[in-house]
Amino acid sequence: MEFDFEAILQTFMAECEEHFAKMEEALVALEANPDNDKLLEAIFRGAHTLKGNSASLGYPKVAGFAHVFEEMLQRFRNRTLPVTQERITLLLRSLDAMRQMVPEAIAGGDELQPQHVELLNQLASGEPEEPTTAHHRQPGDAPGQPLGRSQADAAVSMERVGTIRVDTQKLDRMLNLAGEIAIAQGRLRQAIEQSGNEKNEALEAQDQVERLSLELQENIMKVRMVPVGPTFRQYIRTVRDVAQDHGKSALLILEGEDVEVDVSVIEHLKDPLTHMIRNALDHGIEPPETRKARGKDPCGTISLKAFHEGANIIIQVSDDGAGLDRKKIIERATLIGTVAEPEKLADQELYRMIFEPGFSTADAVTDLSGRGVGMDVVRRNIEALRGSVSVDSERGKGTTITMRLPLTLAIIEGFGVGIGEDTYVLPLHAVSECIEMPVSERSHGRPQGVINLRGEPLPYVRLRNWFELTSSRPDRENIVVVELDGAKAGLAVDSLQGARQTVIKSLGDQFRDIPGISGSAIMGNGRVALILDVSALMREVIRSQGNRSAHSALANHSGNGAPANTNSAQYH
Amino acid sequence: MNTKENTFDQTQYLTFQLAGEEYAVGILQVREIITYGTLTKVPHTPPSIRGVINLRGNVVPVVDLGLKFGLATSPVTDRTCIVIVEANINENPTVMGVIADSVSQVISMSENDILPAPAFGTRVRIEFLRGMGKSGDKFVLVLDIDKVLSADDLAPTVPGGTPSEPGAVATL
Repeated sequence: MEFDFEAILQTFMAECEEHFAKMEEALVALEANPDNDKLLEAIFRGAHTLKGNSASLGYPKVAGFAHVFEEMLQRFRNRTLPVTQERITLLLRSLDAMRQMVPEAIAGGDELQPQHVELLNQLASGEPEEPTTAHHRQPGDAPGQPLGRSQADAAVSMERVGTIRVDTQKLDRMLNLAGEIAIAQGRLRQAIEQSGNEKNEALEAQDQVERLSLELQENIMKVRMVPVGPTFRQYIRTVRDVAQDHGKSALLILEGEDVEVDVSVIEHLKDPLTHMIRNALDHGIEPPETRKARGKDPCGTISLKAFHEGANIIIQVSDDGAGLDRKKIIERATLIGTVAEPEKLADQELYRMIFEPGFSTADAVTDLSGRGVGMDVVRRNIEALRGSVSVDSERGKGTTITMRLPLTLAIIEGFGVGIGEDTYVLPLHAVSECIEMPVSERSHGRPQGVINLRGEPLPYVRLRNWFELTSSRPDRENIVVVELDGAKAGLAVDSLQGARQTVIKSLGDQFRDIPGISGSAIMGNGRVALILDVSALMREVIRSQGNRSAHSALANHSGNGAPANTNSAQYH
Repeated sequence: MNTKENTFDQTQYLTFQLAGEEYAVGILQVREIITYGTLTKVPHTPPSIRGVINLRGNVVPVVDLGLKFGLATSPVTDRTCIVIVEANINENPTVMGVIADSVSQVISMSENDILPAPAFGTRVRIEFLRGMGKSGDKFVLVLDIDKVLSADDLAPTVPGGTPSEPGAVATL
């Protein structure tokens, strides 16, 4: 068998990156908790593994550097060298150097670059020779102010979890196959049942295979879900470095690190998060003196939160900084001239302008931000994921940017309904109950109507009419009661098929703009069912009415006058 | 028989029957041919989009060229099938199905065998044609499947006016 060195190198590089990331995180945490031995051990282990792996693959340059790195850590361990901010910075810079060295070594470079030799000498002496940042902490700042609150978690995450990297396309193919197997099994079951032999052994075996393949399918789908924690934690270092370089002090708080999201969603989140965090540091968080003068904690807080809301994941970046400057945005908007009278816009609408390309209110372009590119990138990335982004701000108190994303691009908990021969899938979270169509409403068969639901008026729409289906209406119909922002509405269908986990299939570009249809799914019989976007569907129904009566019926019922939820999840 | 040099320029085409006329599509764009199965109709799409099918786990739209070209629709028979093609739509390779009353054969034609379509007289709009192919003593209509399938009239239709601004979805 061919010895696949390429594959080994790939693994090596991936592993190195994993170690670098973990060590980086632990180093930043160590800076805040110099006495935490667990963290130190974790960094030490990482360095040691790196050294071993590089040496065994024949990269003495990396191994040698890692050895000196390890030596310095050893002195931390023996308490012969105290942990200081400068030394942590040196170690972080050395990590970056190793990051560069690995590909160099693989490409065949055995010589250390001069700046790396310089670092090596400093590591050996344990004394950072020149301060790496122009900034020194303000006297009033608490020394060793923690920069990340994830230390405990960081230590936990150091426990090595065996991981492999898999191309998501391969997973998709596996998922497709698993689905097709399920369909073939459905046919097989039918054939066995029709063979007439009851208490059939084949049927029992079939049951078992069906269970197993369902489990397989679920497992493949779960593989796609990854916690946001590791992605979030990368920003601990970003915040530390950027804040130090710019004479600011900031703390990154992470929340909801366990929240799992589809791996393809994560990939698209990285750039937007970087831009938002840099923006928060540059435009949001004020310098410590200013903060003190304003009666705030000199150390600013940036928080990165993830949580679920229905079938969505919400990711929020907030800072307790200066907030958006309405006046500046108006000035800038007038200058660009995209809006006729920006001063008349409500805050929300005005703030949305920061997502326009070329829109920056920064007085000066810094290396951090101000070129007016960042927020445009944020919006485009989020919209590519069929999500939405909004901004909330209060002058002097801070800014919160909220991104709302579909939890996964792959699965939803669906509720199947039948109309004639066709099946439609509603997102289960939107369904609140199902009732039989009252006799009084059966006869007329109008496209829409109102029924009495426990004393409350419930407007409903017949999906058969709405979708212009030609099949004939059965005697018995059902109404699925859906709830949007507390407002209820009914969808009249023929039959109810119950809840099922549904793999979302893209409908492709041809069907991108059909309101109310968010994707499709393949049913057990091999047919395609359409997945409905209930909020978009109801919006269209209300809009096509061209009057406000249906709308107000919805709104009054909710008691808060909120319009139908505009958060529509699409899975094209 | 063709000489070797000649066969070099030959391209193969799949021909199929539609409303009594013979059409051809370059074989390199044909993925497979499947029997006509149950289609799922997608609401608010033009009639020429007959629906979507499950092609081994992928959802593929199926277009009725008869309806699109304004020809009479033929009833579904045993011979009705769906030709799965890979069209290049707005620079994106897109897999779509096309309904054929029946699939005829694979023929070889060189570029010389394909004559420009006349300015009028064909039942199909001239921009959808690459030309008239000579196959024996008959003409087949050689389709430019990319153009046929990227045409705007395959865009969704929305009840009650224009679709809501996509941007409007993102507010809130």
